[in-house]
Amino acid sequence: MIKGMFKAMASNARHSVVVAAAAAALLGGCAVNDTGASEVWDPAEVPNRFIFSINRAVDIIAIRPVAVVYRDWMPTPAKKGVHNVLENLGEPVTAINEVVQGDPSRAATTLARFLVNSTLGLAGLFDVATSFGLTKTKEDFGKTVGYYAGVEPENGGFYLVLPLAGPSNARDAASLMADYAVDPFRILTYALNIDAVYQGVRYGATVIDIRTRTMFALDDLEKNSVDYYAALRSAYTQQRADLIRQKREKTDSRGELDRRDNVALVR
Amino acid sequence: MPLLASRRLVLAAAGLIALSAFTAPAMAAGDPGQLIQSVADEVIQIVKQAKGPDREAAIQKILTTNFDMTYMGRAALGTHWDGTSEPERARYLTAVASAEAHAYSERFGQYAGQTLTVGRVTPRPNGVSTVDTKLNQTDGAPISILWEVRDTGQGLRITDVKVEGVSMVMTRRSDFNSYIQGHGGQVEPLIQELERRAKN
Repeated sequence: MIKGMFKAMASNARHSVVVAAAAAALLGGCAVNDTGASEVWDPAEVPNRFIFSINRAVDIIAIRPVAVVYRDWMPTPAKKGVHNVLENLGEPVTAINEVVQGDPSRAATTLARFLVNSTLGLAGLFDVATSFGLTKTKEDFGKTVGYYAGVEPENGGFYLVLPLAGPSNARDAASLMADYAVDPFRILTYALNIDAVYQGVRYGATVIDIRTRTMFALDDLEKNSVDYYAALRSAYTQQRADLIRQKREKTDSRGELDRRDNVALVR
Repeated sequence: MPLLASRRLVLAAAGLIALSAFTAPAMAAGDPGQLIQSVADEVIQIVKQAKGPDREAAIQKILTTNFDMTYMGRAALGTHWDGTSEPERARYLTAVASAEAHAYSERFGQYAGQTLTVGRVTPRPNGVSTVDTKLNQTDGAPISILWEVRDTGQGLRITDVKVEGVSMVMTRRSDFNSYIQGHGGQVEPLIQELERRAKN
């Protein structure tokens, strides 16, 4: 019942989010507020804080307790297996993003990983591809947009707290929808008319997996901040910016020189 | 590793001849990478041996001797530093130091055999060196931790810690700034809150 309510809320919110995000993407070009390393641009702070407090209540009542039980009672190999399966389901979206980022050879590696892990790795349960030297990457459209956008990566448009999903911004929220739209698994399960079950299981497991993995960091941040909302807003923005900056530095000439330097030393 | 470091220094020196006056003292004061390694070793020793208040006291000692707490505290207060009176600043810095010691002591309390690998050291023209490190976990991917080290005149001090790209100082700054804004732009309520937390 409650779950259904949230789903309805989420799907209602989805349209307005897309519209708002599209508007922001257009406005973003004008660089209304190049936040840079200073404060995060948060014009919707009041509604954001409202959603944030609802999210926290849901987390305290329903999500965190499940994650604690999962963390403490589930055997480590099983947790690892679940995580690997979920990550494997995300590989096609990563590969698509790598193509859009102009790195088809990296996309090929990701696809190879996906094929190896889906077969030899028993539907992704085991990450055998890594032991074959196929290293793992994780891309999303938010990073792709950030990679091409000519602004500081801290500037992802206005800050946004999504129901259930938590901290985001115009760039990442709109990109979440784009990734969702192109996800081959979503399209396939929709065609087979099993998308409701598939998505319920996948996203349910993802929420618990992510919540378990972020438990230490979030508990720490909450305990040691005087304004948890502001601390999380800053931490989220910095972390996303760091991921985008790593992508940009790979192609920037100084990073390239450093890399060559290292390669020369290895030889 | 030493080869890499020396080569880097040569490159940096060659590239920054005009700025060598700034970088030279930083190099003379010691190796930033070594500082991080010794701090990590000390912390692991403390966590293995001491518990409770003893641990917290030992951690606080490490923070005061190896971290530039005044610089970090000042940076965390941002623009509000200027409008704060001298006695308030002193109280604020004391409260921040004990709050951080409490936080770090708890954080390190979760220690479960992780090791720290010190990677490359990058000197920057403004006298700050960044030290790349990896925290190797017993299971799962290593965590990237980047340290900013600055020469204060009395030796090298750590001025910021970035965990997976999240700067402690920057996060505190946002946190404190928002709290101050929410309390009529006054620093006093923040100091009282920090003092209250330090007691617990």
